[in-house]
Amino acid sequence: MNMLDWFLWGIIPYIVLTIFIGGHIYRYQKDQFGWSSKSSEFLEKKLLRVGSLMFHFGIFMVLGGHFLGILVPVQVYNSLGVTEHQYHIIALTFGIPAGILAIIGLGILMYRRLSVKKILKTSSKGDIAVLFFLFVVIASGLSATFLNIDSHGFDYRTTIAPWFRGIFIFRVQPELMSEVPIWFKIHLIANYAFASIWPFTRMVHVFSFPARYLRRSYVIYKKQANQLN
Amino acid sequence: MKKKKSPLWQRLNYLKPKEKYADGHSQLQVGDRDWENVYRRRWQHDKVVRSTHGVNCTGSCSWNIFVKDGIVTWEGQSIDYPSTGPDMPDFEPRGCPRGASFSWYIYSPLRVKYPYVRKKLIHLWREAREHYDNPLDAWKSIVENKEKATSYKKARGKGGLVRADWKEVTELVAASVLYTTLTYGSDRNIGFSPIPAMSMVSHAAGSRFMSLIGGPMLSFYDWYADLPPASPQIWGDQTDVPESSDWYNSAYIMTWGSNVPLTRTPDAHFLAEARYKGTKVVSVSPDYAESTKFSDDWMSVRQGTDGALAMAMGHVILNEFYQKQTVPYFEKYAKTYTDFPFAVKLKNQGDRLVADRFLHAKDLGIETTNNEWKPLMFNKLTNDFALPQGTMGTRWDKEGKWNLNLIDERTNEKIEPVLGFLGIEDSCQEIEIAYFDASTRSTMKRMVPVKSVEIDGEKVYVTSVYDLMLANYGIDRGIGGQVAESYDEIEAFTPAWQEAITGVDRNLVIKIAKEFGQNAIDTNGKSMIIVGAGINHWFHSDAIYRAVVNLVIMVGAQGVNGGGWAHYVGQEKLRPAEGWNTIATAKDWQGPPKLQNGTSFFYFATDQWRYEETSMSELTAKTVDKARYEHAADYNVLAARLGWLPSYPTFDKNGIDVFNEAKASGYEKAEDVAKYVAKELVDRKLSFSIEDPDNPVNFPRTLFVWRANLISSSGKGHEYFLKHLLGTSHGLLNDDEDSLRPSEIKWREQAPEGKLDLLVDLDFRMAGTGLYSDVILPAATWYEKHDLSSTDMHPFVHPFNPAVASPWESKSDWDIFKALAKGISDLATTLELEPFKEVVTSPLLHDTAQEIAQPLGEIRDWSKGECEAIPGKTMPNVHVVERDYKLVHKKFTSLGPNIGKNPYGGKGISWSMEKEYEDAKHAIGTVEEKGISKGLPNIEKAKDACEAILRLSSTTNGKLAVKAWKALEKQTSLSLKDLAEEREEELFTFEQVNAQPKTVITSPAFSGSEKGGRRYSPFTTNIEKMIPFRTITGRQSYFLDHEMMKEFGEEMATYKPMLHHTPFKKDRPPVEGKEITLNYLTPHNKWSIHSMYYDAQPMLTLFRGGPTIWLNKDDAAEAGIEDNDWIECFNRNGVVVARAVVSHRIPRTIAFMHHAQDRHIQVPGTNLTKNRGGTHNSPTKIHMKPTHMIGGYAQLSYGFNYYGPTGNQRDLHVVIRKLEEVDWLED
Repeated sequence: MNMLDWFLWGIIPYIVLTIFIGGHIYRYQKDQFGWSSKSSEFLEKKLLRVGSLMFHFGIFMVLGGHFLGILVPVQVYNSLGVTEHQYHIIALTFGIPAGILAIIGLGILMYRRLSVKKILKTSSKGDIAVLFFLFVVIASGLSATFLNIDSHGFDYRTTIAPWFRGIFIFRVQPELMSEVPIWFKIHLIANYAFASIWPFTRMVHVFSFPARYLRRSYVIYKKQANQLN
Repeated sequence: MKKKKSPLWQRLNYLKPKEKYADGHSQLQVGDRDWENVYRRRWQHDKVVRSTHGVNCTGSCSWNIFVKDGIVTWEGQSIDYPSTGPDMPDFEPRGCPRGASFSWYIYSPLRVKYPYVRKKLIHLWREAREHYDNPLDAWKSIVENKEKATSYKKARGKGGLVRADWKEVTELVAASVLYTTLTYGSDRNIGFSPIPAMSMVSHAAGSRFMSLIGGPMLSFYDWYADLPPASPQIWGDQTDVPESSDWYNSAYIMTWGSNVPLTRTPDAHFLAEARYKGTKVVSVSPDYAESTKFSDDWMSVRQGTDGALAMAMGHVILNEFYQKQTVPYFEKYAKTYTDFPFAVKLKNQGDRLVADRFLHAKDLGIETTNNEWKPLMFNKLTNDFALPQGTMGTRWDKEGKWNLNLIDERTNEKIEPVLGFLGIEDSCQEIEIAYFDASTRSTMKRMVPVKSVEIDGEKVYVTSVYDLMLANYGIDRGIGGQVAESYDEIEAFTPAWQEAITGVDRNLVIKIAKEFGQNAIDTNGKSMIIVGAGINHWFHSDAIYRAVVNLVIMVGAQGVNGGGWAHYVGQEKLRPAEGWNTIATAKDWQGPPKLQNGTSFFYFATDQWRYEETSMSELTAKTVDKARYEHAADYNVLAARLGWLPSYPTFDKNGIDVFNEAKASGYEKAEDVAKYVAKELVDRKLSFSIEDPDNPVNFPRTLFVWRANLISSSGKGHEYFLKHLLGTSHGLLNDDEDSLRPSEIKWREQAPEGKLDLLVDLDFRMAGTGLYSDVILPAATWYEKHDLSSTDMHPFVHPFNPAVASPWESKSDWDIFKALAKGISDLATTLELEPFKEVVTSPLLHDTAQEIAQPLGEIRDWSKGECEAIPGKTMPNVHVVERDYKLVHKKFTSLGPNIGKNPYGGKGISWSMEKEYEDAKHAIGTVEEKGISKGLPNIEKAKDACEAILRLSSTTNGKLAVKAWKALEKQTSLSLKDLAEEREEELFTFEQVNAQPKTVITSPAFSGSEKGGRRYSPFTTNIEKMIPFRTITGRQSYFLDHEMMKEFGEEMATYKPMLHHTPFKKDRPPVEGKEITLNYLTPHNKWSIHSMYYDAQPMLTLFRGGPTIWLNKDDAAEAGIEDNDWIECFNRNGVVVARAVVSHRIPRTIAFMHHAQDRHIQVPGTNLTKNRGGTHNSPTKIHMKPTHMIGGYAQLSYGFNYYGPTGNQRDLHVVIRKLEEVDWLED
C-alpha cells in the first residue's frame, strides 16, 4: 500500500463527504430559492418524457443494486445461502439492463440539452456539468460491470463494500482497495468528482422528494407567520 | 426582533407532533413561511406615481408607475376613473399590454443617454471655433463651404455619432439659429412636433421656443393624413368626435375603416358592451379585420371604393326616408340643422346648366352688412326668400343674431323653410353634375325643380340644396332626368351601380342603409359610424368622408348622444385649449406665430413637387374645360399668394431686410409696410419663396424635431427626404427628367441636395430621425417629467409625473428648450445683437373676420391683375414683428403680460383675462430676477407651466368656461352659460388631476356637453342650444360652392376613384423571377405606433421581430412567395425589404405594410439600391389635392391643423417579388 492508495481511499473520501454534506447544508441555508430540480419541461416535452423516465427508472434500479451489493454485507447473503455465482448472475441480469436504460436515458437528456436551442440557451454551466459527470459515472460503472462479467474471482462485496462501509464508521481500510480492478477505481473516482459538485447543482432535488406529501392530510392550515415559534 | 431560525433547523420538525383536526382530514402545518416573502417582495415598491404615455395613443390611459430601489420596475392601470353614471359601463379597465411594457425603454439599449453630434460635424465645428471667435463666423465657415457642408451632410444616417457636452451642443445649435435668422430669415428655422395633446407641455416647450425666435411650426394632423378635410368642409370644425363611452349609447354602429379593437384597445370594451345591450354592429372593411369579428354584418368593400358604397347607401336613405315618405324627425332636423333648405343659383356653362353658388342677400339687392355672406332659404309662410339667422354673415356683423332659430334676421318673421322646390316650382330644369369612376369622367344629366328669380335684370334659376342633392344621388322624383327607377338599375348612385365598383352585394347595401335609417327613426338618431384611417388616408379622403358623413346627417344622428360620426386617428383633442395655445404660440409675449401647414412645407422642402406626374386635368370635373393649372404645386403657389395657406419660408428675402428696405423707403408703420410689401410683390420686386423653392436663399436651414419620428415613421416620400432635404444616400428610383413642369414655379435643372444645414432631434430613443440627425439631445421619458395629456376618447386630463429623475444626461423637453433659449439669449448677449424688426405674413384665418375675406367663392388672383393686392383681404396679412433674441430665455420662462391686456379666447370668442392673470401671479409665483420678466408669473418649471395651462383654459377653469359662454351668448343672443354654471367654482390644479382623473368642464372650445355627467358627443350644443356651425350657412354643409370645388366636381359628395398610379413610368428595374403588382397600404400596426413603439423588445417578440408585409395567399402564390420569405417591395419612390406574411385575411390586390416599422430593426440590403431596404415610407410619395388649399372662404379658411392638403400616401402601387439573396451588408 502506497501513499497514493492512502490518499485516494483514506483521505479523499472524507474531503468529498465534507463537501457533500457541508455543501448541502450551506446551499439549503443560503439558497432556498435555487433548491430546485430546475424543470425545463415547459420548454421541451417530448424528449424529456422519454429521456427523463428512462434515466430515472434506470438510475433507481442501479441505486437499488448498489444498496444490495455495497451496503448489505456479504455475510447476509452467505447466511441466506446465496452463492457468489448466484449473486453475480442476479446482479448482472438486473444491473446491466438498468445501467443501459439509465445511460440511454441520460444520452437522450444530453442530446436534448445540447441540441434544443431553447434548452441550451437557458442552461447553466452546472446543468451541463451534471449531465457530463453523470455520464462519466454511469459509463465507468457500466464498463466496470461489463468487464467484470467474468469476475476472475474478484468480488466487490469483500473489497469495495467493506471499505465503503468502513468510511462511515471511521474504520478506514484503504488496503482493501489495493487489489480492486482499475475500472472500479475509475468509477469511484468519478463518483468523488460527481459528489463534490452535487450540492451546487440541481442534483439537490434528490433530497427534496416530497415524501411527506404521501402522509399529509387533505386540508392544510398554516399558522400565521408571527405566531411561529 | 427575534432571531431568524435557519431554514435547515426549521425543516427539522419531523419529530414535532402534528395538530390534526376532523379525523385527520385537516392538519396544521407548522414551518418556515419565509419563502412567502419572496412573492410579497415581488410586488412591494417604494412609491407609486401617476403618469401616462405620450405616444399619440387615443387611449391616454392613466397609469400607476411603480418605483423600487430608485428603478422604475413596472406600471399598472389606474382604476379610479369617475363613474360614467348609472346604467353605463365604466371606463375601466383602461390600459393595454403595450402601455404596460413602456418601462422597458427607460433602461433599454435604445435609450439616448447623452447629447450626440455627428463626428464629422463636431470636428468641423471645433476646428472652426479655434479659428473664429464669433460662433456665427464659425458656423458660416462650415455651411457656406460646399465641401465641408457636403462632408457632414453625406454622413447622415451612417452612424459616427459622438458624445458632446450640453454646453458645446447648445452653442452649436444657437449659432445655427442665429446665423440662419440674420442671413436668410427667422422663417428658415423650422420646428416639427406633432400631437400636442399627447404631452402638451413638451410640445409647447419647443413651440414656444420657435415662436419666440420667429421660427415656423409645422402642422402634423394634415401631414399625417389624419385630418379629415371633410370635417371643416361640413361643420367648420377641425374634428370633434364622441368619447368612447358614448358608443354604448348607440343602437346601431358601423365601423368603417376603423379597426376598433386593434387601434382603440382600451376603449373597445364599450363596443363589446354595446353589443351585449343589443346594439347592432356592421363592419365595413376590405380585410377580415379584428373589428369585423365584432360585427353582425360585414361589408367587404374593395379598398378605396368606400365612397361608392356610401353614395349608394345615401341613395337608399334619401329614397326611402325623404322621397318615398316624410319622416318628421328627419325633416325637422334637415330644415333646422342642415343646408338642405338653402337656395342655390344655377348658371349656364356653355349650353349646359350647372349648380353655381348659394343665393345671397346681395343677389336680391337686400342691403345688410356682409350681404355676400348671407345665403337665403325659401319661407313657406311668406312665399318668398328669407334671410335666416346664423349664417356666416351674421357671425361677423355683430348684431347678435348668430343662432339657428328659424327667424328672418331682417324682418324677425318666423321662417318655415321648404325643403325642396318640388310642388312650388316654376319649372324643372336639367342640370349637369360631374361624375367620376375608374375609367370615365363624365356628367350626369339630372332634373331639379327651380324657381325663377331676377338678378340684375337677368332671369336666374334657383333651386335648393335638397333638390340638388336628390338629383346628385340620382333619386327618381318623377320629374325625369337620368335616374334609376329601381335599385337594380345601374345608374349613379344606385346599389346596383356600386356593386361593380365595391364588390359589395347590392342587397346588403339596401338592407344596411334601411336599417341605419330606420334605427335613427326609432331612436331619434342613435345611429353611429366609427370612421378611421382605413378610409381617410386616400387622396380623395374628403370625398369619401363627405359621402359617409352625409349618411349620419341625413338620418339626424349628428349632435345626438349615441349617434353621428366618430373619427379616431390620433390623440387630437387637446382639452385645455386656450391655455396651451397661449403658451405654445408665446402669444402672451408677441404675435403672430408662424404656423405652417406641414404638407406644403415638406412637399417643397423635399422636392417631391419636382416628380409630379398626375396632371390636374385628369382630376377635374367634366363640367369644366380643364384645370386652372396642370401641376398641383401651382395651386399651392396660388394658395400662398391669395392668403389661403401660410407659406414659410415666405419671401426670397430675409424678412428683416424686407422691413429695412421698407423703412429705407420711408415706411415704418405696420399698415404702410404692408402696403409697401403688396406693391413690391405686384411689381415682382419681391417674390414668394414657394415660387422658387430650389433657390438656396429659400431653403429651410435648421429643423428641430421632437416627440416625433419624422425621418422614418411620418416622412412620406422617405427617399425624397434623404436625397433633397438631407443630402445623403438614398434609394430613390425616380428622376424628374420628364415630370410635369409647373407654370408658377421656377424650374431649376439641377435639383438641390442637402438643403438642411442642421437637423436637431430630441428623443429618448435612438430611432430613424435620430440616426439621420446632426444633433441628438437626450429627452426625458414619460415617467421622468411633468406634463399633461388629453384625448378624444375620454373627458379627463391626465398628468405626467417624474417617477424617477431623468437618468444620465437626459432632460425634459421643457428643460431642453429652456436651455436652448438660454443658449440663444447668451449668444445674442455676447454678440450684442440689437432687437430687430421683421416682416411676417399670415394667412386669412378661420374663426376670424378674415374668413369672410373673399366672397362668393370666386378666385381672384391679384398677380394676374384680377383684383387689387390688399393684405388681409386678397392676399396674406403682413405684420411687422420686433424680436430681441437677448430676451428669448426670459420670455420663455415667464407668462407675458399680453394675457391680461389683450382679448383672450379661441374659436372667434374672446373675453378679458385681467383678473385671472393677476391671480396666476399669486398662485404660480413670480419671477424675481431683474429684467423684462420681473414680477410676471414664473413658469420656469414644467409643472408650473402645467398649472398655468389648467388655470388659463375654459375646460379646466369653471370661471373661464362661464365667461366664454357669456361671450358666445353675446354673439348668439342664446342662453348658454347654464352649460358650465354648475361648475363655475371649479379650478383644476395639477394636484387635483394627480389625485384622481377629473371630467373637464363644458366650454365653447368644443361642441359637446358634459353637463350633469353626460357623455361627450360632438355638436350636441349646436343641436340643443341652437348654436350655429361655423359654416357659410351656419348649418351642416352638404353643398360647398367655392369655385375650386366646382372645378374638381366636389360641390356635393360624390364617388371619386383612386388615383391612377403605376409603380414605374420608365427605367423599371429588370424583372427578376415572378413579380406581382399590388396596391400598397400602410395601416396601423397592432404592436407598434399609436400604443407603443415598434422597436421595443416586448413588442418585437409579439410578432415576427422584424419588418413584415401582409399579402393574400393567392397573390403570394402567384409571385412564388411563401410565408416568411424575404421580399422586395418597390416602385419608383423607393424600396422596402420585409418578410412576407401570407394570409387569407387580406383580400387580393392589396399589400399591407403596417406603418412605423423602424428601419433600424432587422432590415437586410437590396440590390436595387445597393443599400439597406428602406422604411414603410420608401415606396410612398405624397399627392397634393388642390381643394384642400382653398382659403379665405368661411369654413374653408386656414387654421393650423384645421385645413390644408393632406399628406396622403395610399393611392400607390408597388411591385413585390421574392428577395432571392438576403444580404445583411455586414461585411
